[in-house]
Amino acid sequence: MTTAAGLFQVPWSDYRSDLLDALLKTVSYTAVSFAGAALLGLVVALLRLSRVWPLRALAAVYTELFKNIPLLAIIFLTYFGLGSVDIRLDVFTAGCLSLIVFYSAYLSEIFRAAISGIHDGQTEAGEALGLGRLSVFGHVIFPQALRLALPGTNTMLVDLLKGTSLLVTISAAELMSEARLITSSTFRALEVYLVISAVYFALCYPLSQLLLAVERAIRAGKPLTPGRRRRLSTARALLAEAPAPAGTPSPKEATA
Amino acid sequence: MTEPVTAAAQAPGTTTGTTAPRPTDAVIRIRDLGKSFDGRRVLDDVSLDVPRGRIVSIIGQSGGGKTTLLRCVNLLERPDTGTIEVAGETVHSDGRIVCRDLARLRRTVGMVFQRFHLFPHLTAVENVMLAQVKAGVPERQALERAVVLLRRVGLAHRGLAHPDQMSGGEQQRVAIARALALKPEVLLFDEPTSSLDPEATREVLWVMRELAEEGMTMMLVTHELPFAREVSDWVAFVDGGRIIEAGPPAEVLGRPQQARTRAFLTTYESAE
Ligand SMILES: Nc1ncnc2c1ncn2[C@@H]1O[C@H](COP(=O)(O)OP(=O)(O)OP(=O)(O)O)[C@@H](O)[C@H]1O
Ligand SMILES: [Mg+2]
Repeated sequence: MTTAAGLFQVPWSDYRSDLLDALLKTVSYTAVSFAGAALLGLVVALLRLSRVWPLRALAAVYTELFKNIPLLAIIFLTYFGLGSVDIRLDVFTAGCLSLIVFYSAYLSEIFRAAISGIHDGQTEAGEALGLGRLSVFGHVIFPQALRLALPGTNTMLVDLLKGTSLLVTISAAELMSEARLITSSTFRALEVYLVISAVYFALCYPLSQLLLAVERAIRAGKPLTPGRRRRLSTARALLAEAPAPAGTPSPKEATA
Repeated sequence: MTEPVTAAAQAPGTTTGTTAPRPTDAVIRIRDLGKSFDGRRVLDDVSLDVPRGRIVSIIGQSGGGKTTLLRCVNLLERPDTGTIEVAGETVHSDGRIVCRDLARLRRTVGMVFQRFHLFPHLTAVENVMLAQVKAGVPERQALERAVVLLRRVGLAHRGLAHPDQMSGGEQQRVAIARALALKPEVLLFDEPTSSLDPEATREVLWVMRELAEEGMTMMLVTHELPFAREVSDWVAFVDGGRIIEAGPPAEVLGRPQQARTRAFLTTYESAE
């Protein structure tokens, strides 16, 4: 008890609103960067699967380049590096840009593997039904690729959330920067970083559990959108109606 | 259905390319079709008609070009030479796709694959709906038609199942319903029962027989020779990219004129 009391001496209530701001900052960095990285990653993945080789090459160079540079180096390059040649980005922009560039390289690899994991027969079946290229991608390839990409993508999302802590190096006012501020005014490094770690855990653990649940629901074919739920329940009602009188049951049905 | 008709362009017993009396209403008209893969001739001067309401079966050894021929009809494969007409419209001529509306061609020609290729992320009923909705059919109407079609293939009770929850025979019957969704004028079947066990094969052949009785036009690649003999109006034996022999099933399967056809039928029968 005494040790615990001795451990926790920082007046946390004084920092409540600052911490809340920092938490929101972390969440904003995560949300904006992940949305950007997912979008850019998809574009890069599509370029890598393009029939035009210069596009493929360009995308490959992009992916390899940013996969093989530390995130911290990318952060310094976009904030300090560009700043030194008079391209001054504000901290939020520089931070998000770094995360987007870095994580889109990884996500493009995950997406590319997922898209090329879909059997060619799927595209052909779509085409044979008169679907255009966009419809084939949107209704046939993408939903299936998404299922394949989901586990890897979810890992990346949680990784990105934790990755925002590197933005402490450019004082991005997110959780880690706030922790550093509190430490410098209280000199209680162990306590402060324990608490901040707990906050990260409290963010990441439920997030990854939620994403796992979504994965499971999608794999079980559960309708996730209200539109599809409605369609399936209408279908259920129509299918349950008395079968049409005409037609003999199939051999299978007759025995079933 | 049983009376043999002069269904295709070739008289029985001829080898390739000769054009015999033309039926008036051919849904598919193939003339002098040629196709190479990497310099290797896979289709060579193939000419064939599929008249409306008739069933034309393609038989032959593996690698003979049957699948390629079928895939040329809806332009999943691009031929090098020759012409293809579908429903009176030239869709391909000498290496150029002249079809103005590829989507419409594919709605005119339904296709059923050997390995079903159902969309695994959608339920059976959604598989049958998708193309309709994309073609502009209102959702409710598309759903109703999907249910009617599932009922027709005896699968109304499986409408909400996903493909991986269905047996092979069920999947192929859903695939047939899906191919019928846009009211095609002709159905192409590429060995629809080759990856099925005998029980599932019976289910699928039952559905195809029903379609035949309703007068559906079909072009069918199959190894089910007894079935081909039963339902077909015309059988073409393809080997090495050429139509070696074509005619009514009783002729081609019963009294084959060509040595290669006889050899094929003999190996087939001994394999049975
Ligand atoms: N995309 C392709 N690229 C290269 N060669 C191909 C391609 N598709 C088919 N071929 C070749 O063309 C020839 C004819 O193939 P096809 O699939 O049309 O034969 P098939 O008669 O359908 O055979 P099976 O009974 O085994 O299905 C084969 O030698 C095959 O290897
Ligand atoms: Mg084949």
